[in-house]
Amino acid sequence: MNVAKRMVNAAVRSRSYATMYVPPASLENVVVRRQTPKRTPESPNFYTGRAAYFDQVNALELALQHTRSALQTLQLLPLPSFVRESIPPGHHVWLTKLGLTEMLNAPLTTSRYRRLLGLLNQLDNYRRIAEVAGVEGLASRVADVLEIFERENKEAFLARGKRKPVEFDEYGRSYTVGRRKESAARVWAIAVQKQTPDAPSASTEDQPLDPLPQLTPTITSAMGDSPLPPTEITSTNVLINNIPLSQFFPLPADRERVVRPLKIAGLVGAYNIFALVRGGGTTGQSGAISLGIAKALAAHVPDVEPLLRRAKLLRRDPRMAERKKTGRAKARKAYTWVKR
Amino acid sequence: MRSSRVLAEQLSTASRCTIPRVRQTRGYAQAKKTPAAKHQSQGFKGNKNKGDDARKKLKVDNVGLFKPLPVNQLTDPVFKSDYRSSLTLPTYSPEALTDAAIGLAMEFPMSENEAIRAYGVPKNLLIEFRVLSKPCSVVRDVTLKAVDTLDAAGMTPSRDTRLIMTGPSGCGKSYLLLQTVEYATHNNWIVLYIPRAIQLVNSSTTYVYDPRTRTYHQPEYSYQLLRRFLSVNSTALQNITSREDLPLGDHTIPAGSPLTELVEAGIHNKDLASVVLSALMSELSQQSTYPVLLAVDDAQALYGYSSYRDPHYRTLMAQHLSIPRLLLEYASGKKSFPRGAFFGAASTAHTSFLMPLEMCEALGLPPSRPTSPYTPRSPDMVSYAQGLRNFPVPAQLSINEAAALFDVWMSDNALHSGEVRQNGELVAAPNDELFMTKYCEASGNARAFVWKGLLSTLGSL
Repeated sequence: MNVAKRMVNAAVRSRSYATMYVPPASLENVVVRRQTPKRTPESPNFYTGRAAYFDQVNALELALQHTRSALQTLQLLPLPSFVRESIPPGHHVWLTKLGLTEMLNAPLTTSRYRRLLGLLNQLDNYRRIAEVAGVEGLASRVADVLEIFERENKEAFLARGKRKPVEFDEYGRSYTVGRRKESAARVWAIAVQKQTPDAPSASTEDQPLDPLPQLTPTITSAMGDSPLPPTEITSTNVLINNIPLSQFFPLPADRERVVRPLKIAGLVGAYNIFALVRGGGTTGQSGAISLGIAKALAAHVPDVEPLLRRAKLLRRDPRMAERKKTGRAKARKAYTWVKR
Repeated sequence: MRSSRVLAEQLSTASRCTIPRVRQTRGYAQAKKTPAAKHQSQGFKGNKNKGDDARKKLKVDNVGLFKPLPVNQLTDPVFKSDYRSSLTLPTYSPEALTDAAIGLAMEFPMSENEAIRAYGVPKNLLIEFRVLSKPCSVVRDVTLKAVDTLDAAGMTPSRDTRLIMTGPSGCGKSYLLLQTVEYATHNNWIVLYIPRAIQLVNSSTTYVYDPRTRTYHQPEYSYQLLRRFLSVNSTALQNITSREDLPLGDHTIPAGSPLTELVEAGIHNKDLASVVLSALMSELSQQSTYPVLLAVDDAQALYGYSSYRDPHYRTLMAQHLSIPRLLLEYASGKKSFPRGAFFGAASTAHTSFLMPLEMCEALGLPPSRPTSPYTPRSPDMVSYAQGLRNFPVPAQLSINEAAALFDVWMSDNALHSGEVRQNGELVAAPNDELFMTKYCEASGNARAFVWKGLLSTLGSL
């Protein structure tokens, strides 16, 4: 019975030519359902449920595909292993999982994040190959793509743990800090300006009568007969707490320690030094100033850095005063041993 | 020749004011050391009978440092007695002091009556002259300035030219004063040079109260000063005649006699030396044939308290002693030479005789201690200091002057840095790096450059 009814209903429903008569009274209670047109989803990955993620994955895989084919066309792929090893390593700082989540506006699990990272690393490898090979256009386009996925503070992140480069102000002064034992010195170094020799002032006397005709010399010497102009020797002025060096450090050993970086670099007379030093005693203060001057010279003249490094002048002396221990008079000194 | 040697020995053995035994070459042809002659000193002398000879030998020279050993005692090859060299420098003379001479080292001519021999030099200069093979100095731009000031002062009363050379320690004030003194002596000036005014006030010489002048005379010092004055200025003194009679105890020196007689009277009798000295100065203040230079090193010691005590154990001020008072009167302009000048040099060597506040204010220098308008200032000192002019000596040597100084020490084989191996032995080869580093370490200060820098460095590079 049900089967027959079902069959009839089905037949009725499928018959498009036959209109169903509906009495008007029953049409009053009918609720007309709005027919929303079916829209096509924006992304073909809509039905995955994680459209944003899969869109990115697809885009990256497409980029990878294109880059791979371009490199293959340029015969840069596949590379022999020794070439691959010689390419300099990449320094990449991708967004964190949280960052990527924010970018995609979709939750991201760890395994999906790692899949994305894998694709990015692969793309970065191709970029490095293109860069080393000199294919600037391809490398820059790939870099543009990858930049979207990099952290904002990439430079700062890569430079973490490294010494900040010394900066020069508008007058060309460097500012460095040196420390030794309990002393700290702040050192400003500025290059000594040579005074330009004044042009010989034009004589106010009248021209002498009829200058003699200039004779062209037949004998020429390679060096010329005129004496060499005297070289102007500049001297380094060292001011410590606004006091000249000889007054601040009476001991010759301290003075020599302060000037040693300049001497070893061969730059005595090239730079003027102003230092503010505080803490500790004479040896600590002179050592701190010496380190500050060495760092300043390494900043002004980078060629000199290996010399100073080999002379151990760029090393902050780590030796500090040893603490006093209980049961001892000083750090090492023991009390007199008593037999009983 | 013989008589001059005897005179030199007498001068050296009997003096408290030392004469440097400076020679032309270091130890060559040195006269054999004669034992010290008996010196007669007056005044209080304790332990009269104990160890006189040993004491006298010790008292030959106050400064016993850096005296060169004779060559015949230095037989070991390490002393290299065969390789002794002597400096060859142009002679310091008034004609040689031109603008081209700035930055040149010049040696002082050591004639018999030279001011350096007769009057002596300050202690640190003495040591340098002993170490060097010849006494010399570098002519600086301030030398020419001082010498020009002196020339201008030769026509004006000394009241108009009263200078004190000031500057930081080791900048060359004593050397400058010595150069001025040498210039004056070779320019026919009458020069009275007191290289160590500290010895007037540090209670090292005898003193006796004189009720007539109500000051304390220093007979021994006056005697020595007169002898040296005579030896340096004898030719000039012979041409000057005294204008007033001078009664001296049993005899009188009449007016119109040459001043050499006056001075010799003081030399023959030590008791009269102080009186003769003051008479001599008053005679010189009345003549205008020769300009007179009164040069005092350590001049700040005259302004303030001395180390002497009166019978009530009160400290005497320097102005209560006759010779310092005389110098102060000329320094303040209360007395004046018709032609001449007063040149003083401040010294930083003695911390017990620092420049007092009154002198600092007169010269326009910052005082050593913080002061206020309520700090007491002695009116006597203010009057003795008024009118003094500051003659600042630059704290830094210029590079050329320092280079000349470096050359002097290098030529004298005094430097030990920059050793290089030559023929199997280490030979010092000083170079420009040594010069530049030591100049930088010394901040241009002359004494720090030579003594702390070049001679005291332990670095061999």
